[in-house]
Amino acid sequence: MSQILKLIALPISIILMCMGVMTILGGHITPGGGFQGGAMIASGVILSILVYGIGNSPLEFSHTYIEVLESVGALGYIVLGLVGLFAGGFFLYNVGTDLNNVVPAFIQTIFHYPDVSNAGIIPYLNIFVGLKVFVGLSAIIIAFAGFKKLTEEDVD
Amino acid sequence: MISYGPIIFGLIFGLILGTQIKTNYIKDTKFTRSSYVIITIVAILMASLGEFPFYTRLPLSSALVSAFVGIMLSKFIFARSN
Repeated sequence: MSQILKLIALPISIILMCMGVMTILGGHITPGGGFQGGAMIASGVILSILVYGIGNSPLEFSHTYIEVLESVGALGYIVLGLVGLFAGGFFLYNVGTDLNNVVPAFIQTIFHYPDVSNAGIIPYLNIFVGLKVFVGLSAIIIAFAGFKKLTEEDVD
Repeated sequence: MISYGPIIFGLIFGLILGTQIKTNYIKDTKFTRSSYVIITIVAILMASLGEFPFYTRLPLSSALVSAFVGIMLSKFIFARSN
């Protein structure tokens, strides 16, 4: 890729990632959410990998990093759902908002997102989904770039 | 009243993301400290949208600013070496 692209790609990637985080954290009150924000963060990673290449990219995730974040995303979602099941009677019951008045006050306080809106666990779900989506999409692109590199090596 | 949710979780998200930015492998281009100053100015311009959901209470979007601060902090603290 050209010098100009290499100069501009990393700053754009960083700004894209910040916008993705903003989209994730505003998912309960503005358009967007976990999936869209995660895809925006992954687009920053994809841009970086496309411009710099798989071996030289400044944004390249290790296997452990991908594995840990993917697991944290999935487990966090399930744990929040189970908290709702045991405290409120339904899987993914919004224990932070507690519309049915069945959850003890201390659990409601723990899972209440510190924001002006009374969103409960929805922002936390967005955060976990965002983590999972950004790592998942980045892993797909890293794998595709790696496969391409392997094929080129086979041809050579 | 400041909402602490976007600030806390934006910082955590930024810290997670910034650990993987390693500029040592880049060929033909070098990112010096002045490059990060430019990126900071651009991030502040992007954040001047305002804080959601009202967009008027604070001049800067707290989620974007805290994510940027988190990315820069962890990039310079954790991602210095290979």
